[in-house]
Amino acid sequence: MKPNDQPSITVSEFIHHAPAQLELRITAGAQGATTRQLTVPRVQKLGLALAGFTNYIHSGRLQILGQSEIRYLGQLDAEKRREAIRNLGLERIACVLVTKGIEPPLELIEEAEAANLPLLSTPVLSSIAISVVTDSLQELLAPIVARHGVLMDIYGLGVLIEGASGIGKSECALDLIARGHRLVADDVVEVRRIGADRLLGAAPELLREHLEIRGLGIMNIRDLFGVSAVSANKAIDLSIKLERWDEASEVDRLGIDAQAVEILDVNVPQVLIPVSPGRNLSTLVETAVRVQLLRTRGYNAAQEFIARHEKMLETTESRIQESGFRIKENL
Amino acid sequence: MIERRVTVTNRLGLHARAAALLVRTANTYKSALRLERTDGTASADAKSILSVLMLAASRGTELLATAEGVDETEAISAVCGLFAEGFGEGERVDKA
Repeated sequence: MKPNDQPSITVSEFIHHAPAQLELRITAGAQGATTRQLTVPRVQKLGLALAGFTNYIHSGRLQILGQSEIRYLGQLDAEKRREAIRNLGLERIACVLVTKGIEPPLELIEEAEAANLPLLSTPVLSSIAISVVTDSLQELLAPIVARHGVLMDIYGLGVLIEGASGIGKSECALDLIARGHRLVADDVVEVRRIGADRLLGAAPELLREHLEIRGLGIMNIRDLFGVSAVSANKAIDLSIKLERWDEASEVDRLGIDAQAVEILDVNVPQVLIPVSPGRNLSTLVETAVRVQLLRTRGYNAAQEFIARHEKMLETTESRIQESGFRIKENL
Repeated sequence: MIERRVTVTNRLGLHARAAALLVRTANTYKSALRLERTDGTASADAKSILSVLMLAASRGTELLATAEGVDETEAISAVCGLFAEGFGEGERVDKA
């Protein structure tokens, strides 16, 4: 699946999904709510635009009107007030949110109604509304991609187990669940990018808490193993790719070559584990996670080992040179 | 069984990356491959990374490579080739 280039939602979708604490309601221009689109999670404040500097109004952003803006409008006479509001270009603004439960001026309600501009209101203070709206839009507008794999929470790390069909991802997950780790998603993982470099994985609604194993069928993990065996979503910290032994030609024997896989333009460290009979996958995965935990804390055993080996090479080299000199002296 | 003498010529010696390349190459052949220091202090299975690292073969070390098996000719020439090419370290590293 290709990630959407420009995710967007309509104003009415936003109202539907926004956190209940905002208590959003439409005071005017409800007709525009189903057509106007929000495309950027960051909000704007209309302050300068009301004063006449309208250059930076972004049509895809939610516009905030707080107490200071309403007070500013209030001290203008009615005609100037209507002019300042019209100047904003109400046709191209996605929506306006009035905070702190303030009653918007009559002119704004009339103009919004005329332009079909959704005029929203919330009892919440501007400062809180801005952060709640931004967080909520960030999630709603996050680029999303579906990955084939299993997402698990192992020792607190979000681990995406990938590999071809039938290689044993789900069986490996079951083994990990039996050892006390948590299942987030099996088979299809919906990955959202939150901000610039954070990936959040979750199961599609229908598949949540379920695992399918050949021969056992579809199982509800929460029923079988309890509530602590499942987790709703998890940030993805590591990808583990399972590959058939004969296909895994580029296996890192030393563990020194850091590999990564790109998901939604974010680099995720990746470990390639060859699969063959007699290799206990869940122990290998668990151990790979332990290694990754140490690495994120700045300790890389493979690199330390190599540094020790290099020191050993140096001492033997100097011994060779010494013996070379001795041979020359003897001559 | 085939035997051949090789000398470690690359600047860094049989270091970790070179050893990994050697082991990866050795594992593509069926034959048993061994490396032995000519001073007799150590010998290694060329298909085992830790064993190869324990040779502590720095630049100038002489080794005896032996191959035994159905593809011993190809195996030994591939391994000797790696030593001759300095494990792909290239001239840039040698000059440094």
